[in-house]
Amino acid sequence: MPITPESENQTAAPPAERLAYSVQEAADMLGINYFTMYRLIQRQKLKTCRVLRGKLLVPRTELLQLLQTDLR
Amino acid sequence: MNYYERPTPLQEQAYTEARQHFAEHLKQFKANCDAFHNIECNLPTTANDTFRAAIQSSGHIIQTDDGTQWQHAVDLTKITSVCHRRTEAGLEFAVVECLPLKSREMKDVLNSGHDAREVLQTFAHDQRKVFKLWKDDVTAQVNEYLGEKYPHQDMTIVTESFEIKLARAISERPAQTQKQSHGVRI
Repeated sequence: MPITPESENQTAAPPAERLAYSVQEAADMLGINYFTMYRLIQRQKLKTCRVLRGKLLVPRTELLQLLQTDLR
Repeated sequence: MNYYERPTPLQEQAYTEARQHFAEHLKQFKANCDAFHNIECNLPTTANDTFRAAIQSSGHIIQTDDGTQWQHAVDLTKITSVCHRRTEAGLEFAVVECLPLKSREMKDVLNSGHDAREVLQTFAHDQRKVFKLWKDDVTAQVNEYLGEKYPHQDMTIVTESFEIKLARAISERPAQTQKQSHGVRI
Protein backbone atom coordinates (compact mmCIF):
# COMPACT_ATOMS: atom_id res chain seq x y z
CA MET A 1 0.00 0.00 0.00
CA PRO A 2 1.46 3.38 -0.96
CA ILE A 3 2.25 5.72 1.89
CA THR A 4 0.22 8.88 1.71
CA PRO A 5 1.51 12.18 3.05
CA GLU A 6 -1.11 11.92 5.78
CA SER A 7 0.18 8.61 7.09
CA GLU A 8 3.75 9.94 6.95
CA ASN A 9 2.65 12.77 9.20
CA GLN A 10 1.37 10.26 11.72
CA THR A 11 4.87 8.85 12.36
CA ALA A 12 7.17 10.13 15.12
CA ALA A 13 7.82 13.84 15.39
CA PRO A 14 10.77 15.13 13.34
CA PRO A 15 14.04 15.09 15.29
CA ALA A 16 14.22 18.89 15.53
CA GLU A 17 11.09 18.98 17.66
CA ARG A 18 12.12 16.35 20.16
CA LEU A 19 13.28 17.19 23.66
CA ALA A 20 15.77 14.35 24.00
CA TYR A 21 17.58 11.75 21.94
CA SER A 22 19.06 8.33 22.46
CA VAL A 23 22.84 8.17 22.68
CA GLN A 24 23.01 6.81 19.13
CA GLU A 25 20.83 9.55 17.67
CA ALA A 26 22.86 12.16 19.52
CA ALA A 27 26.12 10.60 18.26
CA ASP A 28 24.83 10.74 14.69
CA MET A 29 23.82 14.37 15.12
CA LEU A 30 27.23 15.31 16.46
CA GLY A 31 29.01 13.21 13.84
CA ILE A 32 30.95 11.17 16.39
CA ASN A 33 31.04 7.46 17.19
CA TYR A 34 29.12 5.83 20.02
CA PHE A 35 32.15 5.30 22.24
CA THR A 36 33.10 8.97 22.09
CA MET A 37 29.54 9.82 23.00
CA TYR A 38 29.60 7.60 26.08
CA ARG A 39 32.96 9.08 26.99
CA LEU A 40 31.46 12.56 26.95
CA ILE A 41 28.65 11.32 29.18
CA GLN A 42 31.04 9.58 31.56
CA ARG A 43 33.06 12.79 31.88
CA GLN A 44 29.82 14.73 32.43
CA LYS A 45 30.44 16.91 29.40
CA LEU A 46 26.94 15.89 28.46
CA LYS A 47 24.22 15.48 31.05
CA THR A 48 21.77 12.69 30.47
CA CYS A 49 18.60 11.39 32.02
CA ARG A 50 17.39 7.82 32.36
CA VAL A 51 14.00 6.64 31.23
CA LEU A 52 11.96 3.82 32.68
CA ARG A 53 14.10 0.81 31.76
CA GLY A 54 17.36 2.64 32.41
CA LYS A 55 18.02 3.81 28.86
CA LEU A 56 20.02 7.03 28.62
CA LEU A 57 18.58 10.06 26.90
CA VAL A 58 20.48 13.19 25.95
CA PRO A 59 18.45 16.40 26.22
CA ARG A 60 18.46 18.57 23.11
CA THR A 61 19.62 21.56 25.18
CA GLU A 62 22.76 19.64 26.17
CA LEU A 63 23.61 18.96 22.55
CA LEU A 64 23.14 22.59 21.61
CA GLN A 65 25.26 23.69 24.53
CA LEU A 66 28.04 21.34 23.49
CA LEU A 67 27.95 22.55 19.94
CA GLN A 68 27.74 26.19 21.04
CA THR A 69 25.46 26.86 18.15
CA ASP A 70 23.59 30.07 17.48
CA LEU A 71 20.34 28.24 18.08
CA ARG A 72 20.51 28.73 21.84
CA MET B 1 18.55 -17.30 36.78
CA ASN B 2 19.96 -20.43 35.22
CA TYR B 3 22.19 -19.33 32.33
CA TYR B 4 22.36 -22.90 31.05
CA GLU B 5 18.61 -23.00 30.61
CA ARG B 6 17.65 -23.68 27.00
CA PRO B 7 15.91 -20.68 25.39
CA THR B 8 12.45 -21.22 23.93
CA PRO B 9 11.96 -20.85 20.15
CA LEU B 10 10.36 -17.44 20.79
CA GLN B 11 13.35 -16.34 22.83
CA GLU B 12 15.67 -17.59 20.08
CA GLN B 13 13.69 -15.55 17.57
CA ALA B 14 13.74 -12.49 19.82
CA TYR B 15 17.49 -12.87 20.23
CA THR B 16 18.03 -12.98 16.45
CA GLU B 17 15.84 -9.93 15.92
CA ALA B 18 17.50 -7.95 18.69
CA ARG B 19 20.91 -8.89 17.38
CA GLN B 20 19.97 -7.50 13.98
CA HIS B 21 18.42 -4.40 15.48
CA PHE B 22 21.51 -3.64 17.58
CA ALA B 23 24.04 -4.81 14.99
CA GLU B 24 25.74 -1.42 14.71
CA HIS B 25 26.03 -1.17 18.50
CA LEU B 26 27.57 -4.62 18.76
CA LYS B 27 29.92 -3.96 15.88
CA GLN B 28 31.16 -0.66 17.33
CA PHE B 29 31.35 -2.11 20.82
CA LYS B 30 33.54 -5.01 19.68
CA ALA B 31 35.77 -2.77 17.54
CA ASN B 32 36.30 -0.32 20.39
CA CYS B 33 36.97 -3.11 22.88
CA ASP B 34 39.61 -4.59 20.56
CA ALA B 35 41.25 -1.20 20.11
CA PHE B 36 41.18 -0.65 23.87
CA HIS B 37 42.76 -4.04 24.56
CA ASN B 38 45.56 -3.17 22.15
CA ILE B 39 46.17 0.06 24.03
CA GLU B 40 46.23 -1.83 27.31
CA CYS B 41 48.66 -4.43 25.95
CA ASN B 42 51.00 -1.72 24.65
CA LEU B 43 50.75 0.46 27.73
CA PRO B 44 54.34 -0.03 29.02
CA THR B 45 55.79 0.62 25.55
CA THR B 46 53.60 3.69 25.09
CA ALA B 47 54.70 5.01 28.49
CA ASN B 48 58.36 4.56 27.52
CA ASP B 49 57.84 6.24 24.14
CA THR B 50 56.06 9.11 25.84
CA PHE B 51 58.84 9.56 28.36
CA ARG B 52 61.44 9.48 25.58
CA ALA B 53 59.53 12.13 23.62
CA ALA B 54 59.33 14.27 26.74
CA ILE B 55 63.07 14.03 27.37
CA GLN B 56 63.76 15.02 23.77
CA SER B 57 61.08 17.70 24.04
CA SER B 58 59.75 16.60 20.67
CA GLY B 59 56.23 16.72 19.21
CA HIS B 60 53.93 19.34 17.80
CA ILE B 61 52.10 21.76 20.07
CA ILE B 62 48.49 21.13 21.10
CA GLN B 63 46.64 23.84 22.97
CA THR B 64 43.75 22.49 24.99
CA ASP B 65 40.53 24.42 25.62
CA ASP B 66 41.77 25.48 29.08
CA GLY B 67 44.67 27.31 27.38
CA THR B 68 47.39 24.87 28.40
CA GLN B 69 50.02 24.01 25.81
CA TRP B 70 51.14 20.41 25.44
CA GLN B 71 53.53 18.63 23.14
CA HIS B 72 52.23 15.60 21.32
CA ALA B 73 54.04 12.33 22.09
CA VAL B 74 52.08 9.23 21.04
CA ASP B 75 48.67 8.66 19.45
CA LEU B 76 46.40 6.32 21.42
CA THR B 77 43.40 6.47 19.10
CA LYS B 78 42.32 8.68 16.21
CA ILE B 79 41.24 11.38 18.65
CA THR B 80 43.27 10.74 21.81
CA SER B 81 47.00 11.10 22.32
CA VAL B 82 49.49 11.22 25.15
CA CYS B 83 51.17 14.58 25.49
CA HIS B 84 53.82 16.13 27.71
CA ARG B 85 54.96 19.52 28.93
CA ARG B 86 57.58 20.93 31.24
CA THR B 87 56.42 22.53 34.47
CA GLU B 88 58.19 23.88 37.56
CA ALA B 89 57.41 20.57 39.25
CA GLY B 90 59.01 18.62 36.41
CA LEU B 91 57.61 16.77 33.42
CA GLU B 92 53.86 16.47 33.23
CA PHE B 93 51.96 14.02 31.05
CA ALA B 94 48.38 14.04 29.88
CA VAL B 95 45.96 12.15 27.72
CA VAL B 96 44.44 14.75 25.43
CA GLU B 97 41.32 14.28 23.36
CA CYS B 98 40.84 16.34 20.18
CA LEU B 99 37.22 15.84 19.31
CA PRO B 100 36.11 17.26 15.97
CA LEU B 101 32.51 18.36 16.37
CA LYS B 102 30.51 19.81 13.51
CA SER B 103 30.92 23.36 14.79
CA ARG B 104 34.34 23.28 16.42
CA GLU B 105 37.14 21.06 17.69
CA MET B 106 37.03 20.31 21.40
CA LYS B 107 40.48 19.79 22.93
CA ASP B 108 40.30 18.42 26.41
CA VAL B 109 42.69 16.92 28.97
CA LEU B 110 41.22 13.58 30.03
CA ASN B 111 43.71 13.05 32.83
CA SER B 112 47.21 14.17 33.71
CA GLY B 113 50.07 13.52 36.11
CA HIS B 114 53.81 13.35 36.53
CA ASP B 115 54.16 9.63 35.87
CA ALA B 116 53.46 8.64 32.24
CA ARG B 117 52.61 5.07 33.14
CA GLU B 118 50.17 6.13 35.86
CA VAL B 119 48.51 8.58 33.49
CA LEU B 120 48.00 5.81 30.94
CA GLN B 121 46.75 3.39 33.60
CA THR B 122 44.22 5.96 34.82
CA PHE B 123 43.13 6.49 31.22
CA ALA B 124 42.66 2.72 30.76
CA HIS B 125 40.74 2.50 34.03
CA ASP B 126 38.43 5.34 32.94
CA GLN B 127 37.84 3.69 29.57
CA ARG B 128 36.62 0.57 31.35
CA LYS B 129 34.04 2.71 33.15
CA VAL B 130 32.91 4.07 29.77
CA PHE B 131 32.50 0.56 28.40
CA LYS B 132 30.43 -0.37 31.45
CA LEU B 133 28.20 2.66 30.89
CA TRP B 134 27.80 1.64 27.24
CA LYS B 135 27.07 -1.98 28.16
CA ASP B 136 24.40 -0.93 30.69
CA ASP B 137 22.77 1.39 28.17
CA VAL B 138 22.68 -1.23 25.41
CA THR B 139 21.22 -3.74 27.86
CA ALA B 140 18.54 -1.23 28.83
CA GLN B 141 17.80 -0.57 25.15
CA VAL B 142 17.55 -4.30 24.41
CA ASN B 143 15.22 -4.63 27.38
CA GLU B 144 13.06 -1.78 26.08
CA TYR B 145 13.06 -3.15 22.52
CA LEU B 146 12.01 -6.63 23.63
CA GLY B 147 9.43 -5.24 26.07
CA GLU B 148 7.75 -3.38 23.21
CA LYS B 149 8.06 -6.18 20.68
CA TYR B 150 7.15 -9.05 22.99
CA PRO B 151 4.90 -7.63 25.70
CA HIS B 152 3.97 -10.04 28.52
CA GLN B 153 6.75 -12.46 27.49
CA ASP B 154 9.71 -13.27 29.71
CA MET B 155 12.74 -12.20 27.69
CA THR B 156 15.10 -12.00 30.65
CA ILE B 157 17.34 -14.72 29.26
CA VAL B 158 17.73 -12.79 25.99
CA THR B 159 18.56 -9.50 27.71
CA GLU B 160 21.00 -11.23 30.01
CA SER B 161 22.72 -12.97 27.13
CA PHE B 162 23.39 -9.57 25.56
CA GLU B 163 24.69 -8.26 28.85
CA ILE B 164 27.01 -11.23 29.28
CA LYS B 165 28.24 -10.94 25.70
CA LEU B 166 29.13 -7.26 26.19
CA ALA B 167 30.70 -7.87 29.60
CA ARG B 168 32.90 -10.58 28.10
CA ALA B 169 33.99 -8.27 25.30
CA ILE B 170 35.16 -5.77 27.92
CA SER B 171 37.00 -8.23 30.11
CA GLU B 172 38.50 -10.59 27.59
CA ARG B 173 41.77 -9.86 25.91
CA PRO B 174 41.90 -10.59 22.15
CA ALA B 175 43.75 -13.90 22.65
CA GLN B 176 41.12 -15.07 25.12
CA THR B 177 38.17 -14.28 22.88
CA GLN B 178 39.01 -17.29 20.75
CA LYS B 179 38.14 -19.66 23.59
CA GLN B 180 34.95 -21.61 23.21
CA SER B 181 32.03 -20.35 25.26
CA HIS B 182 29.76 -22.84 26.96
CA GLY B 183 26.15 -22.83 27.99
CA VAL B 184 23.51 -20.68 26.37
CA ARG B 185 24.35 -19.48 22.88
CA ILE B 186 24.88 -15.77 22.93
